[in-house]
Amino acid sequence: MSWSDPARRFEPAEDVQLRAELRDLLGLGPMMAPRSAEPTAELKALAEDLRREAQRRSRTERKRPTWGLLAAAALPLLAALVGLGSWGFQQKHRADDLAGQAQSQEQELSRLAASHASELARERQAKEQVQHQLQLASRRDNRRGEPFLVIPVEKPLKVTGDDYQRVKQNPQH
Amino acid sequence: MAQSPQETPFGSQEAFHAAFAELYPRLVSYARRYGANFPEDIAQEAFVILMQREVAVEHPTAFLYGTVRTLSLTERRPMKNQNLSLEAVSEPGLAGGADDQVLNQEVRERMRMLSPTFREALWLFVVEGLSIREIADILDIPEATVKTRIHRAKAQLKDQLNPSGGVHVLV
Repeated sequence: MSWSDPARRFEPAEDVQLRAELRDLLGLGPMMAPRSAEPTAELKALAEDLRREAQRRSRTERKRPTWGLLAAAALPLLAALVGLGSWGFQQKHRADDLAGQAQSQEQELSRLAASHASELARERQAKEQVQHQLQLASRRDNRRGEPFLVIPVEKPLKVTGDDYQRVKQNPQH
Repeated sequence: MAQSPQETPFGSQEAFHAAFAELYPRLVSYARRYGANFPEDIAQEAFVILMQREVAVEHPTAFLYGTVRTLSLTERRPMKNQNLSLEAVSEPGLAGGADDQVLNQEVRERMRMLSPTFREALWLFVVEGLSIREIADILDIPEATVKTRIHRAKAQLKDQLNPSGGVHVLV
């Protein structure tokens, strides 16, 4: 049986029938089984040549270090990636250091600001206290001065010790 | 499945010689129909590629036809930008050559009047005697599409034979 005989390929019966119908429509007649003639010496030689060529190609292709080539091709990329990675690692370290420094500076500044603010508050409190005392004192002085009438006088020729004249006794509390 | 160095895709050495003797002229003719400039080279290259494969091919015939088709179309690729008729480039059955020896004038005329897409499937099925599965492998389309194309080609052939009309059903 020829290798290309449709029966060898287990074609369904409907396909065989369809082919027969189509051949009939085209006017080709029934499908003839290919002649299994003995191949000529020339064709045999050509077939062997092709087989040898295929074997030669297979051998040469197998010698190719595919993984080695791939590794060699990937090496520059790998080196670039490693370089980039180490550079990135260094950059990250630097960034971390700078961030730490900035944080400590910020803490120092906030501490200074807090102490300054407390100092200001203390000063303000002291000032308010002084003002309050001054107000009290001034009020007291005003109250004390109310019954008195101070008349500036010419300095007497005779030194009496005071430069004012008392006109009324201190009020008795 | 890998094949041993002495084993061929067609089995023994004798089987390979017989298959080569039978297939080689057909493949040369097939390449010529695609307008290949060197159809013999293309057919031989297809055999070399088939035997070079480490893994056995399920359908060697389909593989050979598919490889010849691809190589023939690739050979024509540099001419893509020229103003060539698509009919002349990519349609089997138009370039003449071995077809003229196989088919008579009337059959060739009927084939020529078919739609190019259907003609290709019909040619492989009827003239080359390939199975639906093999044609699907060659054209890289589903088997159902091959069947559809063949049935539509059949309908077109019936229309040619009955130009006055008539209703027919796609089976």
